[in-house]
Amino acid sequence: MSTGLEKQTPGEVTEDELEALIGDRALRRDDHLNAPGFVIRPDDVQDVLFDLRDEAGFDHLSCLTAQQYEDRYESIYHLKKYDDPTQEVSVVVPTSTTEPVSQTAEPVFRTADWHEREAFDLVGIDYEGHPDPRRILLPETWQGHPLSLDYDQEKPQIVTLSEHANPIQPDHHDEESDTMFLNVGPHHPATHGVLHVKTVLDGETVVDVDPDIGYLHRCEEQMCQQGTYRHQIMPYPDRWDYVSAGLLNEWAYARAAEDLADIEVPEYAQIIRTMGAELCRIASHMLALGTFCLDVYGDFTAVFQYAFRDREVVQDILEDLTGQRLMFNYFRLGGVAWDLPEPREEFLEKTRDFLDELPAKIDEYNDMVTSNEIFQVRCTDTGILEPEVAKSYGCTGPVARASGVDYDLRRDDPYGYYENLEWDVVTRDGCDNYARVLCRMQEVEESAKIIEQCLDLLEEWPEDERNIQANVPRTLKPDADTEVYRAVEGAKGELGIYIRSDGTDKPGRFKIRSPCYHNLSTLGVMTEGEYIPDLIASLGSLDIVLGEVDR
Amino acid sequence: MIEVPLQQSDTVLLPERIGELTGLDQFGMAGELLAAFLAAFVVGNLMLAMTGVAGPWAKRKITAAFTDRIAVNRLGPAGLLIIVADSVRLLSKEIIIPENADRPAYDLAPIVVASSALLGFAVIPMGSGIHLADPEVGLAFVFAVAGIASIGLVMAGYASANKYSMLGGLRAVAQNVAYEIPLVITGMSVVIFAGSLRMSEIVAVQQETLVALGPVAIPAWFAIVNPFAFVLFLLANFAEVGRNPFDTPEAPTEIIAGYQTEYSSVYFVLIYLGEFLHIFLGGAIIATIFLGGPDGPGPESIGIVWFLVKIWGVFLLTQWLRSAVPRVRIDQLIEIGWKGLLVLAFANLILTAVIVGLIA
Amino acid sequence: MIGLLKSMATTMKHALDGSTFTVEYPETAPDVSPRFRGVHKFSQERCIWCRQCENVCPNDTIQIVMDDKRNGEQYNLHIGQCIYCRLCEEVCPVDAILLTQNFEFTGDTKHDLVYNKEQLKAVPWYKDIDPLESREPDRGAWIGEGEGEVDYQ
Repeated sequence: MSTGLEKQTPGEVTEDELEALIGDRALRRDDHLNAPGFVIRPDDVQDVLFDLRDEAGFDHLSCLTAQQYEDRYESIYHLKKYDDPTQEVSVVVPTSTTEPVSQTAEPVFRTADWHEREAFDLVGIDYEGHPDPRRILLPETWQGHPLSLDYDQEKPQIVTLSEHANPIQPDHHDEESDTMFLNVGPHHPATHGVLHVKTVLDGETVVDVDPDIGYLHRCEEQMCQQGTYRHQIMPYPDRWDYVSAGLLNEWAYARAAEDLADIEVPEYAQIIRTMGAELCRIASHMLALGTFCLDVYGDFTAVFQYAFRDREVVQDILEDLTGQRLMFNYFRLGGVAWDLPEPREEFLEKTRDFLDELPAKIDEYNDMVTSNEIFQVRCTDTGILEPEVAKSYGCTGPVARASGVDYDLRRDDPYGYYENLEWDVVTRDGCDNYARVLCRMQEVEESAKIIEQCLDLLEEWPEDERNIQANVPRTLKPDADTEVYRAVEGAKGELGIYIRSDGTDKPGRFKIRSPCYHNLSTLGVMTEGEYIPDLIASLGSLDIVLGEVDR
Repeated sequence: MIEVPLQQSDTVLLPERIGELTGLDQFGMAGELLAAFLAAFVVGNLMLAMTGVAGPWAKRKITAAFTDRIAVNRLGPAGLLIIVADSVRLLSKEIIIPENADRPAYDLAPIVVASSALLGFAVIPMGSGIHLADPEVGLAFVFAVAGIASIGLVMAGYASANKYSMLGGLRAVAQNVAYEIPLVITGMSVVIFAGSLRMSEIVAVQQETLVALGPVAIPAWFAIVNPFAFVLFLLANFAEVGRNPFDTPEAPTEIIAGYQTEYSSVYFVLIYLGEFLHIFLGGAIIATIFLGGPDGPGPESIGIVWFLVKIWGVFLLTQWLRSAVPRVRIDQLIEIGWKGLLVLAFANLILTAVIVGLIA
Repeated sequence: MIGLLKSMATTMKHALDGSTFTVEYPETAPDVSPRFRGVHKFSQERCIWCRQCENVCPNDTIQIVMDDKRNGEQYNLHIGQCIYCRLCEEVCPVDAILLTQNFEFTGDTKHDLVYNKEQLKAVPWYKDIDPLESREPDRGAWIGEGEGEVDYQ
């Protein structure tokens, strides 16, 4: 690379430096569209990742993609920096088909724990030295690895009760111990979906927590691999984080696919996207606030209903814009499906009315929730998540920002129209449940600012330049073996998509990096040693959506 | 045959009046018993009817008002017939009893919970002559009887063979033990004022005028005489009956429904009734010892109306708190009980004793 | 303590102002946006049996059966399986399939939600809103119907 060192800002690592750092351990290069890629031997994984983390500052293992080719298995570690996520590097670890064993990265990044379990579960790569090599999404008794090439889709999976571990069995009458095993979920009022938390209690104190996920695994990655780029994938992202973050999810796919196929999105469409996405963020944070209060207050009481009432207004606006209240399918590759609804003035006015009323509503929430002493007593200093722990677990979004990690892809890795707008990234350093609530509430205000500016821009936009879609061919066939990993700031955090094209009109591998998945993995660290009510509150403050965790 | 009056009080009790009206008092002991039974029947049904209204209908309507919703309005005027529909629905459901349930404790628990609350109403003077019994130890009796409910709760929690129930039952006991003491001690400060444990006398003392502001005479309700004790008692009472913000034994979002997780159909109705009865009993105690019982403007014969208004006022307050106050954590709850309320209750008792001693 | 009282005051304010935000459905039918996507309506007269909708459908909801002369025989759509993405309407060159605003449909079993051609034709408009007008105002021009009334049988 010809870019001189003197032009680099401090902390930025050039490709030359990376090459020098990895040195002989790099077998060859395998660059992706978003980042330089280095192929290394399976037994060098920890070595290289330690160097990259400590020497070059790549402290964020954003994603781990595992896939099988005809001749090899491959694990790709997508590394980023929390300080500057535009700096990325991919570490590609091929292993043989006959003996897919690779060294674990768990000692370097705690988040590799769940990642590698998922890779083992779905693709079938073994990670040597992994502390907990169990399946994670599929049941323990599952036969085969669904994303491997030789997997027989037709073969029925028969899991008899006797073969399957009975979750009630081992905990009864354990004479030796003073602890009690408790299944929180999968049918529990406060798990926000079908989450099963295996909890060990000592009295009311939580000793051990093991989230058991996968009840809502819907093969979303495989479904996307069977859809065409141009049309058929876009409806599915709405169904990952299904509560109301639809447009944000769609944007993740749109961003990755547009980079892959090299599509330029018209500026006007970017503004509409930005506005829609922020509306979704407000809706999603309102729901997060409402359900968190539901967990803490204990009944379907006022705060929950008020939050739903306000979210309803956002949904009405989104319905006018996209034609649906939750499953929008509004983005298209290269733009959006529709311009603002006619009559435009009415839509703009309706949205402005909502924004005008918002501050009063937020004041009301502050009166009711955040200034309430009992609420404060319940939430402060519970569910502590230290910034270093958050980074190691790959936490992003409001969860990370409430722990003081200043990381927001909208600002750090700009896309859409965000860089041209005036707004702030909200961070708080409370690290506890209370900080997370405050962080979300302030983000609502920031989102409102963004929408306000977008509305002004849309109103003044000259009528003949309202181009909502780029000219995109009906069938997209990106070049074979192009790989891209792109992320956007979803409502819950960094939502990343990895796509590898295989020359057809459908992706060869489609991998979703879900923010909830990573945030949920911190539950144990946050709650061990606390009380059951705090376990529930902390779970609520993570704001997980099981549809996105299990995919 | 020698008539042995059960009490020496000068108030005419409901059983006696019924005896007079129906002529049952001519039949001696048997007649007296029958009259007492009739009177208890009247009072018990009044209270059950109130819970019937409160549970399926009033609670929904009140919660809906706080949360900007409409709530039941399809059956009958303002949805009142939902009470009938809900009763039929609840009673016609199948009783599901867990395999490992410890019977008969499992079956007895709902009855204990519901009946203990009903018993408490026996000594409450409700005005308009509705007063079943007036023993000398009325206040102690009502506390004692209400306390039996915690046995019912722990029975329910233990016998259900469910860990959530177990946690709920244990929480209920811990909570009741922690709050029973401040409750009783605060109640004692009232006894010091009134100089008697007899309910009728406590009420009578409060009917005197405290200050007369022109035409408006402010009565000497203990809530006005000693508002501090009133607040303490109110708080302890909410914890005692397990209402927000102290509803930890149930805590639906934490331990699902606590001790009542495994109860269904009739048993559930009984527990549910018991809970409402306890709220109303708590309200009745508060009304009697702090709000002048059936005291209020107008003729004495409408005393029952004032009494009910006061009980429902307390019920409304529980629902209001439910809408706005988060549940405290179990350790915080116990801490508030032992370190806060208990100390304050003792301070209140001693202060009251000193002041009463000085004045008297 | 002040915060506690403030929150209680807030809920009491809501209780006393008497306003509600829920509506009494079905007495008050909710307003839906002109763009809202509900049950499909099919027009056999317009359909040219190009099968594009069948192809684009992400989860194989539409099934078309044609005879050997490529004349359309059946048009089946499982409205219970449909994800209401509107891609069929988007790719249809002649607006033969439209998503109405009608969201009120029921079935005793999931099989009742498999609609055939006749059922799809009979789907009523919701509140007489014709979605075509609000969605693609200029589309009528190139279909060749001009200003005239669109007839969906």
